Order: sequence, then C-alpha cells, then structure tokens
Amino acid sequence: MKHMVLLTLLLLSILQTACSSMGVEPWQRGHLAKQKMQLDPYPIDAFLDEHIYFSKESSKGGSGLGGGGCGCN
Amino acid sequence: MPPAAQALQVEQHDDYFCCRFQAMASPCEILIETADRQLAGQLGQLARDEAVRIEHKFSRYRDDNIVHQINHSHGTMVEVDDETADLLDYAGFCYELSEGLFDISSGVLGQAWRFDGHTAVPDSASIKQLLCYIGWDKVNWSRPWLALNDGMQIDLGGIGKEYAVDRVAGLVQQQTDCSVLINFGGDLYSSRARQTGKGWHIGIEQPEYTQSNKPMLANKLLEISSGGLATSGDARRHIIKDGQRYGHILNPLTGWPVVGAPCSVSVAAASCTEAGILATLAMLQGEQAEAFLDTQQVPYWVVR
Amino acid sequence: MQLNKSKSIRQLLTAATSTLLAGTAQHVMAEEKIPWQVDSAFLYYAEKDRVTVLEPVAAVRKDLGDDEFIGVRLVFDSMSGASPNGAIPTDTAQTFTTPSGNSTFTTPAGETPLDDSYQDVRAALSGEWETPLDEHLKTVIGANYSTERDYSSVGLSANLAWDLNKRNTTLTTGISMSHDQVSAVGYIPVGLTAVPTQSGVQKSLQSMEESKDIKELLFGITQVIDPKTLLQFNITLADEQGYLTDPYKILSVLDNNGQLRANDPYIYEKRPDSRRRQAVYLKANHQFNTDVVQASYRYYQDDWGISSHTLNLHYRYELVGGRHYLQPHVRYYIQDKADFYHYSLQDNNIPTYASADYRLGDMSTTTLGLKYGLVLGEFHEFGARLESMKQQAEGDAPFPDNTAIIFQLNYSFLY
Repeated sequence: MKHMVLLTLLLLSILQTACSSMGVEPWQRGHLAKQKMQLDPYPIDAFLDEHIYFSKESSKGGSGLGGGGCGCN
Repeated sequence: MPPAAQALQVEQHDDYFCCRFQAMASPCEILIETADRQLAGQLGQLARDEAVRIEHKFSRYRDDNIVHQINHSHGTMVEVDDETADLLDYAGFCYELSEGLFDISSGVLGQAWRFDGHTAVPDSASIKQLLCYIGWDKVNWSRPWLALNDGMQIDLGGIGKEYAVDRVAGLVQQQTDCSVLINFGGDLYSSRARQTGKGWHIGIEQPEYTQSNKPMLANKLLEISSGGLATSGDARRHIIKDGQRYGHILNPLTGWPVVGAPCSVSVAAASCTEAGILATLAMLQGEQAEAFLDTQQVPYWVVR
Repeated sequence: MQLNKSKSIRQLLTAATSTLLAGTAQHVMAEEKIPWQVDSAFLYYAEKDRVTVLEPVAAVRKDLGDDEFIGVRLVFDSMSGASPNGAIPTDTAQTFTTPSGNSTFTTPAGETPLDDSYQDVRAALSGEWETPLDEHLKTVIGANYSTERDYSSVGLSANLAWDLNKRNTTLTTGISMSHDQVSAVGYIPVGLTAVPTQSGVQKSLQSMEESKDIKELLFGITQVIDPKTLLQFNITLADEQGYLTDPYKILSVLDNNGQLRANDPYIYEKRPDSRRRQAVYLKANHQFNTDVVQASYRYYQDDWGISSHTLNLHYRYELVGGRHYLQPHVRYYIQDKADFYHYSLQDNNIPTYASADYRLGDMSTTTLGLKYGLVLGEFHEFGARLESMKQQAEGDAPFPDNTAIIFQLNYSFLY
C-alpha cells in the first residue's frame, strides 16, 4: 500500500510538471464554465448509476470518494 | 432615431409602474410603486427630462455645452455655473481623497488606448507623453473660474450617470413618498423599501467567464431597499496581446490599465454617486479590491 | 493609494456627496439573494423476473457566498423482487429456508433459485460542505448515513483541491472512512456451514451482527487542455476490513456424480475479512461546436483476484433551438472473477473462502441508453432517461443473464 501511494505521488508530480504549460487564459473559460462541460455535469444521474453498478458488479470507485455503503452487495 | 423610440414608455405591472427611455447611451428606467398611472407618467417624464438635461450639459461629445467650452478653451479662463462648480469641487475632493486615482482630466488617455477590438497596445513613449496632459493638480480651479492647460481635457463620464441617478432621485422624492427605483443602465438608487417591507429585485449581469470553472447565474440577484448601487465592469472592453489582458480601467498616474483588476465590482452606498466612486476606486486597487472595500465597510460584490 | 494608510475614506466621501446632492438615503440596505439549487429525480429499475427498485432522490445546494457551499441529499430506495441466492439450478425442485429461518420457498426444477426475502426499504442522508482555505485551495467535507432493515453505514470524507497554473491544473487528494454495520435477518451464520433445509432449524450462528471498516484514499489531477477540452485522472486506493461476506448467499455442494450431496447440500458463503483495492480512472470532456462528449475509462483490481475494465461514453447532442438535447449513452464493463468464486462446490473439496455470487464471477455488463433533456431556464431543467442493461457470464460458470431497464425522470430548479 505504501509503495502504491509513493508511486502515485511520483506519477502525479510528473504529470503536473508536464501540464504546467497547457491550458487557457482566464478569459477563455466561457465554455468550460457551462454546466455541460463540468466533470460531473449530471450529478444525480451519476449518483444513481453508481448505486446501480455498485450493487450489480464488484468494482467500486474511480471518479470520486466515499458515498456510503449499502447492503446490496 | 425615430421620435417614437425616444419617447417615454410606461408599462404597468402588478404593483408598480415602469417608465423606460433611452439616455446617456443606456437603457434607463424608473420603477414607481403606485397605482396612479398619471403620477407614474409624470415622474417618468421628470426623470427623462433631467437625464437628458444632464447628458446634454455634461457630455463631451457635444459641441454646445460647458464641457465643450472648457475643453476648447486653449488655456483661457472659463466661468462655470453653480452646478458645474459643485461637480468640479466634488471631482477635486475625490482627486485628493484618492491620491490621484480618480481624475476627471484622465480622459486624454483614450487617445492612446482604443478598446475597440484592435489589438494595438500603445508604446510607453506615447503614454508618457500623454501623462503631461493629465493631473487635476495641474488645473487652475478657483470657483467659479476654471483654466486648463492647453491640451488638457475634462471628462465627467466617470460620474455623469451616477450623478444623474441621484439628481433624478432628489427631484422624484420631492414629488412622492412612494418607493421608487431609478436604474440607468445598471447604476441605480432606491428611495425606500416597498409596501411589503422588502426591496426591489435587480440583476447584475455576470461576466461570461471567471477564474473558477463553476457555472454561474447569468445575473446576480440583489435586493435593494434603500441606497445607491453602481457597478464598475471590465469584462466587455479589453485588449488581448501576447497572452496579456489589458482591461479598460486605466490608472491616471501611470497611464496603464490596472493589473489584476476584477471582472466587475458592484458597491452599495448612500447615493449612487458615492457608490460609483467607491466602485471605480476598488477596480483601481486591482488585486486589493476586496481589501479596500472591506475597509470602507460597504456592501459589495466582486467577481474575478 | 497605499493600503497601509487604510483609513476609511467612506465617511469623508459620504459627507462630500451629500453636499453635492440633495436627499441621499439615510442608510444602505442591499443584499444578495442567492437561491437554493434543488435537484430531484426518480429512478425505476426493473430486472427481468428479478428485482425492482424505486428510488426517489432529492438534493439541495446553496451558495453561501465567498465560494462557500453546502449541500444535502436524501435518498430512499425500495427494493422488491427476488435475487439469486447463489445456489445452482438442478433437475429437481429445491427447497430453501429464508434468512429468518421461519419459512421456506421452493424453486422449480431447472430454474435458478431466487430468494425474494431481500425486499427492503433504505434511506440515506448525506451532507457536504465546501469552503475555500486560500485563494487556490479549497476543501470539501462530507458526511453520510444510511440505514435499512439489516444494514447501516456511517461515513466521513474530506477532500482538498489545489489550483495551479492559472487554475488550469487542479490537484486533488481525498480520504474517506466509513463504518458499516451488518445485522442480518436471522443473524450472521458461520461461513461455510450448512444451510438449514427445514424451517425452525437453527443455523450455526457466528454473531448477531458484524461490522466492516472501509478507508479510501484518492489522488487526482484535472487539466484544462484547451478552451473546449478537459481531462481528469484519478487513482483510488481502498482498504476494507471486517465482515465482507454476504450473510444471505449460499453455494450448492455437489457429489462426484454432479448431484447435490445428500447431507448439507447447501452451505453459506465465506469471503476473506480483508480487501485491498486499487483503481485508475481517466475521463475526458470535449466540446464540438455545441455538442459535448464525455468519455471515461476505469481499470480496477483488488486482492480478491478481481480485475475489471469500464468504458463509459456520453454524447450530448444539442437539438435545434438550443433548448433541449438528446444524450445517448454506452457503457461496457468486463470483469475477471474473484479467486474464490465458484459456480458450485465439490464435496470433500471445500476451500477456505467461497462464494457463488454471480457478481464476483467472470461477467460483463453492457448498457445502452438515451436521455432527453429540456432546458427551461438557468439551473432549471427537466430530463428523462431510459437505458437497457444486460449482464452475462463471460467465463465457464453458466449463470444466466440478468437484464434490466433503467428509467429515470429528473427535475432541477432554483428556489
């Protein structure tokens, strides 16, 4: 587990350095500010789907943290 | 413009009348909480007449008013009337109070900075040259005599609209005790709370983009019961060159746009004029806009 | 104007202004009216011949000003119908006891045994508080609680987001902890012991209730690529300790002839009491003209031997007029079984851990769906979504397909 954490941090710091030259100026954020371009544009849909697939499959997580358990799995 | 478009439009709503007209290059409206259509019409006309009067008297784009006379005086003395003198006294006071940031002689910078879609950023030399013609301290003002150095200009555009709102408010309040909202293109004033005890609901347009990625309401909703509100905004007019953004709020002391200015600043104060001065000064503080407004202890809304 | 002189100029300004004007206001009364954002939905999930779920959800979110937000969500779900209990179909009818042990049910020959005693109503409440710590740093703190007849869960989470590179890059890290309580109907049986075949017979009891603790850690990076493209990459690590077995699921034990063994033909499943899982997740948002495509991929693995790939694709197709849209959705999921998954067990060869829950087996899930959205105003939307889901075995275990339709209506508005 400790190895995974260190590897993750290393990977992310490499990614972050690579990313520092990419992006947009503040005045170019018009599209990105719209609801449909958010990372979680339909929170309720995503929440309901997550619940369905959590109870019908064996994988959990990825896009976010926590969320609580249920007796369905 | 056809005469019909210049006329006063009176609309009735549930519990108030709305009178609309065009003045000072803005859509203007006055909302009066009354059931009396005749009173509403009278006040609307009163508001329009006063707005047009102020526009005609103080616009720098006309050639038949005191401002034109002053700006073409070529160094000679001009005698001004009481109203103009009061405004010049006030402008001078604001100049001192703001340590030079508010300056009605800074209009000449418009010769170098054109925010009309061209990407030309003026060079330092031309700006430095213009600075010779800027500075209220260079003006010879001894009420009622004003003498500008040749080449200097005054521009009351920075307080004109807000002053008009307050003047109209004063006149209207002499005629009625009803709750009134005066809104000249986003600069507004409310005399008192409405019958329900609540204020008038107004929307302040939000810029299309901000630094954060969050979706925002197109208009910030404010409820104003009494006092004035003015907004200083930067979102529309700017130049982008070499990845740098130059807003249109210029610092009269340097001749350059303010660095780190917010997209918009709205301030509420006892009068629209005062709100306008505070909003402008806040913008000129750039990154420190919020800190400045915190010190002034006024309600404000800053969008970055 | 130096701020270190920061005296309030306001009083002087007010005085000067009231000299200039006549009749300024006595006091200032202006405040921002920030509405509540309300999001509501109703889900209808119905499997063919199996479980049906009705799930209403309501969530509210409020902007408290200065980039501070709070949100609350309430969910109810009502589940009815029957689920496979893990036993395999045989060529004779089979009789099982219900989890309470008080009654029995019979499955006809050749059919997959389904137990309908999982019916239940669940309620879940969660809250979230988001606040900036700094100009470029913000935190989200969450809490959740859920309860149903035989299960309850309490959890806390905390998340930190750090904006860099003019907010083009965001680093996130988060941690969540939850504690679940399993208090099964009929109490918790000892794993791998015999299932009573007659009502009134006591099963071997391990305890009246068990618990499990889950800890999760997330590291993520979000990057703006260009004005119309956004990428997110997350790594999630989790650790579960405690009672991870399903107290109701059983396995069929067969003799050398492939028939159910005479004594104790069914035993309760048993899963390890620890599970370590890892997932990597990549998501991309891209806008063409006005349409938006969102694609994501997740690779998952854990120390139970399960690994999976999930591909998700949404394409938001703006309809003429710009006030509504259609959004087709495709999801494909493929999973490699857990080490201890068995379709059935052999007598004399009972392993340490075993489960016949098809959800741990080699399987795939394919979902196809379409959503219609109507934009009525700002943060004011109506949506309807219809999807078809099919799960099927992908390995040797011949468990039957599970198909379901998913129908959702949602309505969001400002209050």
